[in-house]
Amino acid sequence: MTSNGARWALAGAATVTAVGVGRAVARRRRRHQPEREDGWYVVHRGITVDRPVDAVIGFWTDRERLDRGLAEWATLEQVDDNRWRCVASDPVGGGTEWRAEITVDGPRRLSWRVTAGPVAQRGRVELLPAPQDRGTEIRAELRWRSGPVRRMLGLAGGHEPDLALRSALRRIKSLLETGQVLDTRHDPSGRDPKQEQATDRIREQLMVGGRP
Amino acid sequence: MRALCWEGVGKLAVRDVPEPAIRAAGDIIVKVKASSVCGSDLHLINGYLPAMREGDILGHEFMGEVVETGPDVRRIKVGDRVVVGSVVACGGCWYCRTEQYSLCDNSNPQPVFTEKLWGHSPAGILGYSHAAGGYSGSHAEYIRVPFGDVGAFTVPDGVPDDSVVFASDAMPTGWMAADFCGLKGGEVVAVWGAGGVGQMAARSAQILGAERVIVIDRLPERLATAAGRLGVETINYAETDVLEALRELTAGRGPDACIEAVGMESHDVGPIYAYDKAKQTARLQSDRPTSIRQAIMACRKGGTVSIVGVYGGLVDKFPLGAAMNKALVLRMGQMHAQRYIPMLLDRIAVGEIDPGYLATHPMPLEQGAKGYEIFEKKEDGCLRTVLHPQAA
Repeated sequence: MTSNGARWALAGAATVTAVGVGRAVARRRRRHQPEREDGWYVVHRGITVDRPVDAVIGFWTDRERLDRGLAEWATLEQVDDNRWRCVASDPVGGGTEWRAEITVDGPRRLSWRVTAGPVAQRGRVELLPAPQDRGTEIRAELRWRSGPVRRMLGLAGGHEPDLALRSALRRIKSLLETGQVLDTRHDPSGRDPKQEQATDRIREQLMVGGRP
Repeated sequence: MRALCWEGVGKLAVRDVPEPAIRAAGDIIVKVKASSVCGSDLHLINGYLPAMREGDILGHEFMGEVVETGPDVRRIKVGDRVVVGSVVACGGCWYCRTEQYSLCDNSNPQPVFTEKLWGHSPAGILGYSHAAGGYSGSHAEYIRVPFGDVGAFTVPDGVPDDSVVFASDAMPTGWMAADFCGLKGGEVVAVWGAGGVGQMAARSAQILGAERVIVIDRLPERLATAAGRLGVETINYAETDVLEALRELTAGRGPDACIEAVGMESHDVGPIYAYDKAKQTARLQSDRPTSIRQAIMACRKGGTVSIVGVYGGLVDKFPLGAAMNKALVLRMGQMHAQRYIPMLLDRIAVGEIDPGYLATHPMPLEQGAKGYEIFEKKEDGCLRTVLHPQAA
């Protein structure tokens, strides 16, 4: 027979465990949350490109290379000396369209503001020489307006601005270092169209937000 | 075209699939002449390295003829007979610039899985699951090779297809294993695994200056081949206590360097092996580290343990205390194919290394599933099955 004492001890242990696990989960969640500032989510992301700062700037000013690099996902139009207009569609995000205004703030800095798109966002990019002859650090700060629920849905669907930023940085690095962005979708396989569709969804999850 | 596809855990079949096309300016298309099976394919086929999808084309160790090149390809020409490194490298990132090709930053277009699992994503590998980029493999009539100028190398005339095919993976892997050992001349090197990679590692260690090489396996025919072809000493672990034998063979010191060329489906005898196998089958650990444990325990104080067998995830009972207190150097990694292949082709051309004897079972592609079965069960003295997609 189990005594009342043992029952109470078990219940107590279970409660302590539940509270402990709950707190650990909450702490982990907090650690993974982006900062919040006046209703904006703020993240900082960086990537190192194995090219000198001048070459990275050169890429942005070499119209032909830039257009070729961006061909599949964005168009750029120069408004005046320091301002550009960008229309981008997210090829892995179901073709959502974004319009943004890009401003050159200084020799190694630019900022952007989304003028039309699903989420209000703005950000800035700074180029710094990387130590040990490692090229250039592209450091970006991104701010976007969203709530916790919307952010959760975005994360689940792979449409979160932070994920997009990470993907964009990886893409830019690849364009600068190799002149192309690799894609293995729809390479030969023994899949039928339905299996291929399912595999595409998995590929998307393996692509979005990934860093080298 | 015909291709050998993965159809689920343990299931392979030859299917009709679309032909590959040039998709980027640096791509080349190779008509595959010889495509070897590899021990690491078994981890994929058996579901130990995850992220395979039904219909994926296997194969990453191959040679053939270039039939088409992208507009930016300069070094490689249509008609070239080439061998292609298994790891994809862009040639433009810091890792490629410093010849650490298997760590390439740009060649895995699907990096999320490995980033989560390992902290960072290394290079993509042809025909090696969606964790390694989702590339179509070489067990097919044709294959697209990205960054052809970086990954493909023209092969010397007169070297047979079934020999030079191993310059794609087994030879550079074996060479890198020996290279890791930092040999200066006169060392004793022990090699776990007498498969293709282990035998190439043993030969590489000899060339790099090892005085004695001791190869460890359980298959008498593989040990006999290693002893006959390379003149190495051998230990059969199914019959002999490896640690004692190595200690006595080195008069108490232990080998100066231990090379592990086995990987996550390592075998052993005894209850600890049964325990590891049970845990791996129940997916409570992803890898069986049997041979690594032995290598660490056997290695002399201050020696080097060099790991080129493939591991994917987590292991149990890793003797870190032994490694730490004996001040061992642990080195490991996927091979930097593009760094070693030109040098290895030169050595094949002058006959210093002849890997052709590894190709014990040449077969047409249509018999691919059977070829893997023979290879996995090590039937009929099989070292490697080499598939010939152009053969009828």
